[in-house]
Amino acid sequence: MAGGRRLTPYFLLGPGIAWLIVFFVIPMYFMGRLSLYSGTLETGFSFDWHWANFSDSLTLYDEQFLRSFIYAGSATVLCLLIGYPLAYAIAFKAGKWRNALLFVVIAPFFTTYLIRTLAWETILSDQSPVVDALDTVGLTSSGRVLATGPAVIAGLTYNFLPFMVLPLYASLERVDERLIEAATDLYASARTAFRKLTLPLTMPGIVAGTLLTFIPAVGDYVNAFFLGGPSNKMIGNTIQSLYLTQRDYPAAAALSFVLMAGILAIVFIYIRFAGSEALMGEEAEPAGARA
Amino acid sequence: MSWLRRNGISVVAGLAIVYMLLPIAVIIWFSFNDPAGKYNFTWVGFTLEHWKNAFSIPELNDALLTSIELAALATLIATVLGTLIAIALVRHSFFGRRTANFLIVIPMATPEIIMGASLLSFFLILNIFSLGFQTLLIAHVMFCISFVVVVVRSRLIGFDRSLEEAARDLGADAFTTFRKVTLPLLMPGIVGAAMLSFALSVDDFVVSNFNSGTTVTFPLYIFGAAQRGIPVEVNVIATILFAVTVAAMGFTVWQQRRAEQLAAVRPEQETEPFAGTPAFPPAPGTAGG
Amino acid sequence: MTKGKLLIAALATLVAALVLAACGGGGDEIGGGSESEATTVDASGEPSGELVISNWPLYIDKQTVPDFEKASGVSVKYIEDVNDNAEFFGKLQPQLDQGESGGRSIFVVTDWMAKKMYDLGYVQNLDKSAIPNVEENLLPSLQHPSFDENRDFSVPWQGGMTGVIVRTDLAPDVRSICDLFDPKYKGKVEMLTEMRDTVPLVMKCNGVDLAQATEQDWLDAIDKIKQAADDGQIRRFTGNDYARDLTSGDAAAVIGWSGDAVQLQADNPNIEWRMPTEGCMLWFDNMVIPVGAPNPTAAEAFMDYVYDAKHQAQIEEYVNYVTPVSGTKEIMLKQDPDLANNQLVFPSDQFTSKCDFAPTITGEEEQKITQAFEAVVSG
Repeated sequence: MAGGRRLTPYFLLGPGIAWLIVFFVIPMYFMGRLSLYSGTLETGFSFDWHWANFSDSLTLYDEQFLRSFIYAGSATVLCLLIGYPLAYAIAFKAGKWRNALLFVVIAPFFTTYLIRTLAWETILSDQSPVVDALDTVGLTSSGRVLATGPAVIAGLTYNFLPFMVLPLYASLERVDERLIEAATDLYASARTAFRKLTLPLTMPGIVAGTLLTFIPAVGDYVNAFFLGGPSNKMIGNTIQSLYLTQRDYPAAAALSFVLMAGILAIVFIYIRFAGSEALMGEEAEPAGARA
Repeated sequence: MSWLRRNGISVVAGLAIVYMLLPIAVIIWFSFNDPAGKYNFTWVGFTLEHWKNAFSIPELNDALLTSIELAALATLIATVLGTLIAIALVRHSFFGRRTANFLIVIPMATPEIIMGASLLSFFLILNIFSLGFQTLLIAHVMFCISFVVVVVRSRLIGFDRSLEEAARDLGADAFTTFRKVTLPLLMPGIVGAAMLSFALSVDDFVVSNFNSGTTVTFPLYIFGAAQRGIPVEVNVIATILFAVTVAAMGFTVWQQRRAEQLAAVRPEQETEPFAGTPAFPPAPGTAGG
Repeated sequence: MTKGKLLIAALATLVAALVLAACGGGGDEIGGGSESEATTVDASGEPSGELVISNWPLYIDKQTVPDFEKASGVSVKYIEDVNDNAEFFGKLQPQLDQGESGGRSIFVVTDWMAKKMYDLGYVQNLDKSAIPNVEENLLPSLQHPSFDENRDFSVPWQGGMTGVIVRTDLAPDVRSICDLFDPKYKGKVEMLTEMRDTVPLVMKCNGVDLAQATEQDWLDAIDKIKQAADDGQIRRFTGNDYARDLTSGDAAAVIGWSGDAVQLQADNPNIEWRMPTEGCMLWFDNMVIPVGAPNPTAAEAFMDYVYDAKHQAQIEEYVNYVTPVSGTKEIMLKQDPDLANNQLVFPSDQFTSKCDFAPTITGEEEQKITQAFEAVVSG
């Protein structure tokens, strides 16, 4: 029985991890090999231990790297600021309507990226009253929102909001309202109750949400493609261009791996900072401990 | 002023909801447009013509059905696999745990084009699956698993074990405890993960483009049609999808309300402690953290 | 026991992966063009069976395929999955490299992509005996293009002209490519991400004769474009999504395609395609038969079918791009005289006198130029 218990995690993990290994790790291994090729499609690519692909990608595209991290970071912060109150309201104030509201959060995804971006372009077009209003309020200055950096960030924010809201909601919903009541009964102000009770309890949700937003956002290309100008391109656009237009597969692969390494490095630091228990759940029981 | 303080959260949330729905309003509005040309950017006039012919483009209908089928299946598989992984990662300590945690995150960091292209090459080497629905399904499950794991895991962390312990103390075996205590309490996380997975799948373009063979999914159709002008019927169908699901949600709310009313009429039986709802509040200080 | 067993399991997986990699490493060389001559299709015999065609979306009317099926007995699977040359190439390349076409017997891709595929050995030579209509009806001006001197492997499907599209109310004076660089329109100008449309046009603005264009001419034009982008003169580089920007007035003048203008004008009378004073770019999308095509006989039967002027007129009525089939205009004059007299759909030789096809660039020259342009356009 104890032996069987030891194997439980492997049975649980097995199918999912196997899927990832076969359909992700192995293809990525081939991509890794490809990143060390040199040549062109016309003259033929061949394996060459061509490490220059990696060093080139760092020197040539450092601007796009930096920009990608900045845009993705900004979008993540915005998503958190908008998403937390939204998730909070859905978890505590929506009652029966919570599933409906959750659905509203992902509803835009049914329309496909292109359609909803076109709708946003209509809303944010230079001549639209919305942009005029933003101008008067002072959020924008040149009467133009589209084809700028902020437009890209706005696009990223809108499209990744569900990635923030859903994990936040999952975590918030767990918080028992009676705890908060108890805290306020004991003379804590609403703010203190939030700071000392809700916030720590929902930390796993916050960490999950920020990761789910930031990580894919860095490699995003569509938002910069449609909403950005020529000087707002992200590293995803570069990879797209290298692979499809320049057909330089090794360079595209190398650049992707550099990007992935960069993202993972940041994630690693973030986890250290946020406390790994919020992410990993160190409270896990050692195998075989339960009777 | 105190109204604002009390309802501040709701106001912000309401604004957020408006923000989410703004483009949908535009899409719905333009579904009633009557352009003479193939583009649907200028408001020309109101018509119900496209509503009457909503399903008149067979390629569009096929693409939509394919996408929904694909998303449903992919969500099902990914949610199951991902939830199991999440449970293993949070609840058990084992050799390879750190690696597994790491492995989960990497697919999210991978640029879609590389993921799509590498998977295509791999399928061609394997030569087992035919390029089309099969490969699309595999690809979609693959990129959804990570997201499911992260969402479910965040729900599992700091999970109050005392309820499960209580169930075990009262004689339930592992499986029953899981089924009647853990799973229901985990449900919001699983539902959230499933919704995210569905949204990811139904909206995916790049990976699908590479691995679809000759199958056309909804986003593939849209991106293609955009070259010449997206037909108004697309807006109509998007509106219908939205309306149908709002109606379905409304229906479940109505159902719940009815169920509650009926329950109020009948006297309640004593419910067992592990029926899925906490019968007594957890002692302060034990929950989480 | 656990740790030990696990280690073994991990090692086993690693070994399996490496074995797989070694086997799959039959892709040690990727690409490399074809050392051998391109194969020629044998399209003899009666067409039958199934035909899979990959084309751009909304590029054919609804009747032609069913009519062809009835006339020939071939069952057609018509897929609209070409939405961008580079993207289509990207997803087909791994298969084409293995000599497979994913079941397709016809693709429709633009001139330069057809040539590239041919040079890489991904496309076959046609059996001309099976396409008499094409031989007879192909417009004379299209019979000997620089990229396929004898029309060995490509048969034009539909084409268009790239020029300037303007908002007559916002940029009434823009009549040439050079006008697009006028600071008066700063931030309201858009150019195409399609290098072979944008750069040759700017070269024309620079006074270059495209038939004699050198690598330096290309790079100079790209520099000029980069300057304009850095200054903020060029708002965006687009695919055909300039359409929305023009409609809303976010863009006042763009480099754009004639076919789009026809559509846009229908709802926006103040949008107009203009032949630049320097001339325009001509392009055609071509039917090609890829390697590994399962049914070349039916493919050529289809090509022959659409080159019958009657059938072409039917397609033209719906598509509104430029037809490569002579005799169509005469039929159209009876069916839809407005369309027949539309210079954008049936341009006269005089109208296109200053227009050129994009110069063909290959090898290192192409790589360098593409890289320089991409650095400006997509970072």
